[in-house]
Order: sequence, then structure tokens, then C-alpha cells
Amino acid sequence: MPEKNRLARYAAIFEDIRAGDIMSSNVVEISAEKKIAHAKELMKIKKISGIPVVDDGRRLVGIISIEDIIHALEFNKINDPIRRIMSTRVVTIHRDDSLAAVVDKFENYKFGRFPVVDDDNRVCGIISKEDILHGILEKFNLIYIHDLKRTSTLNTEYSAITGERLKTEEANFHYQIDTSDIDAAGTGAALLKQFLAGKSFHNDIVRRVGVATYEAETNVVIHSRGQGDIYFFQDEDRFIVRVVDNGVGIEDLDKAMKEGYSTAPDHIRERGFGAGMGIANMKRFADKLVIISEKGVGTQVEMIFYLPTQTWPLI
Amino acid sequence: MIKVRDIVALLDAEVLSGEGKLDEEVKSVGASDMISDILALTKPGMVVLTGYTYPQVIRTALVTDLLGLIVVRGKTIAPETIAYARENNFLLMRTRGYLYSSCGKIYGMGLRGSDAGKE
Repeated sequence: MPEKNRLARYAAIFEDIRAGDIMSSNVVEISAEKKIAHAKELMKIKKISGIPVVDDGRRLVGIISIEDIIHALEFNKINDPIRRIMSTRVVTIHRDDSLAAVVDKFENYKFGRFPVVDDDNRVCGIISKEDILHGILEKFNLIYIHDLKRTSTLNTEYSAITGERLKTEEANFHYQIDTSDIDAAGTGAALLKQFLAGKSFHNDIVRRVGVATYEAETNVVIHSRGQGDIYFFQDEDRFIVRVVDNGVGIEDLDKAMKEGYSTAPDHIRERGFGAGMGIANMKRFADKLVIISEKGVGTQVEMIFYLPTQTWPLI
Repeated sequence: MIKVRDIVALLDAEVLSGEGKLDEEVKSVGASDMISDILALTKPGMVVLTGYTYPQVIRTALVTDLLGLIVVRGKTIAPETIAYARENNFLLMRTRGYLYSSCGKIYGMGLRGSDAGKE
């Protein structure tokens, strides 16, 4: 296919993605009348490097960055109102902007993230490069890697979705899947659910983690013919579940994605498995799902579950 | 309000585990023999009718927060399945009725499935 046609085709795939679809909506904002010291504290607590500044009507009027804070500290202005030092020339993205327009912003300006605004210039979200990646992954839902050169992405310490480091020895929960016993399938998911139920998380997210992990674990038992593990990582605002195996890999991912398609043998079906809903159920219950699989090397399922967002009060 | 107790009486069911839940309210009901369908289509607090008797079904029910299970056609249930249910104080019942008739009776009481409003 000529290069130009191919690009046009890719562009068409993402045509319907709007900034509003991929932005993170739990955005922190701060009033221009607050003291710079407030912004400093907020950045510290939320571990962020910049905050959109808004007026009384929550309309965007500026942005304050760590550099501005350092400047204020240096000149003893930490108790001045934010509006005195914030930068007022803010580059924004409109919630209806296309993905192409968003990518252009990242190319043209060297900022790590951009506030997203609505028609009234109210901040409704923020977009980082990670959000763009999420948006694209969401569109495809998964990545299938045949290429041997990419083997390094399987079983690495890095999240396939967010790129952050996930050390298996630092997982909050680990279960080694018993692949020899079909009757034991789901034990890891049940234990993980029990582990979470003991903490005060919302029932809904605990149930979603349980169901999606159950499906992933069952797939390893039924299909992988290898060894497998479940790892659970708890983050401030999300859970990451990673289910990995060193088995045969998925033969045809397009088919495996289809509801009702299954390669499970009869003795497995007799046990009530093999409805062909496994991946569909993972998609249904996880907020993000990426499956990386390579024939003869194994399969890695990574799922993200976002904790219910707390709206940050306007400080 | 329909309680577990009412369904037990209607289906002449025996309660094998989770006797303490007889006065809990049943809000919706489903039926399936497929693990993945139970995982996908049920809601927390549901009672599910099934012909599936392996211990796996209890694990599935616990993961999906079901209120209880009713095994139909008076099927023999493996002792491990009953033991697993008891360990977790999970409501497990059994009726001689067939799946279709049992569902029909419960539907007749006014209880609906997780597709309520869409059927």
C-alpha cells in the first residue's frame, strides 16, 4: 500500500476520537485569588508540576508551574495571590478537537500536558501523552505482537498501558496459577477478591476486578499449556492486574475477541467453560485492557480499573 | 418484597447452605449453565438457577456477589461443592423442578432478570 494511503487509513481509524474522549477528567484547578503557597501545597500533595488557574466562574485564566513557584520562593512572594505570577498565555485544547489536532499541540509546544476546555473556557479535563496512548489503545483494545524483535515487551517490568514500572516483587498481591487442575481455575481471582474485600474499596470495583481476573486466569488454565501468574498492583487512583503465562500464545486474536468463539475442548465445555465470552468479559469489566501475545512465547493480559474519582474541591 | 424463603416454598427447595439468608430480599433472578455467562450477565444480589454442580459454580457465584444458587432437576451435588458453599456461608439450594418450569414459577411471582425492561 502506498505510504500516503496507509496514513490516510490510519487517520480515518482515529477520526472519531475527540479530546474529550481521551482526557483525564479528574482535573485539579485552583483559584487565581489563592496564595501561591496554596498552589505549592497542592502540587506537593497531588504530585503534579502545573495547575490550571481559574476565576470565580471556573473559567481558565492562567496556569501556574513549579518554575513559577521556585521563582516566587526566590523573591519571597510565596504569599502573593497566584494571579500575580501565573502565566496567562495558556495553550489549551478544546474538548471537541480531533486526535490529530491534539498530537499537533504536543509537537508544536514542548509542554507535558494541556488543559482541555469547553465552549465557555471552563476546564473540563487535562491531556498528557499517556492519555493519547490510552485513547489509541482503547480504540484497538489490544495489541498483538508477532514480531520476535518485540519479545522484550512480554514479561517486562513495564506496564504495556502506562509505561510505568511494575516490579513483580512489589506487587500487592501475587498468585501462581495452578494450570494442572481445571477445578482450581478461578482460585486466584477469588483470593484476590477476598484480599480486596478486606479493605474498604467500593464493592463495584472489587467485583469487576474479581470477574475480569477470573476470566483471565481461566484462560491460562484452559488454553496456555504453560505456567502462569496473577499480579495485582494498587496505585493511588487505579488498580492494575497483570496475568501472564509462558504458554502457547493466542493463535487468532481477531477470532478470540469475538463473543461466542471458543477453542475450548469438549471436556472443558462440559465444565461450563468455553462460552467464548472470556475476552469479551474482560473488556466489559476492566476500564482498559491490553493483551500482548506471541505464538510459542506466551500471553500477557494487563487490565486497569480506575477507582471512583473524587472531585477535588476548588481550593 | 420477595424473600429467599418465598422462593424456597414455591419450588419446594431444600437449603443446603447459607440458611441464615432466608429472609434476605431477592431483587432479580437469572439462569445459566455457563460460567462466563454467569460472570457477564448477572448482577450482585441475584439468585441464579443452574444445572451446574461443580465446585467452580460456588467460586463463580462468590466472585460475582450472587445472593444464592438454585440447582435444578434434583441433581446430585458433589460434596466438595456443598462444603465450599458452607465454608463461605453461601446460599445453596436444590429443587426437583426443571429449569424452565422453575424459572416460569419465579417469573410468575413478579421477579425479573438482569435484562428487565429490555425484554
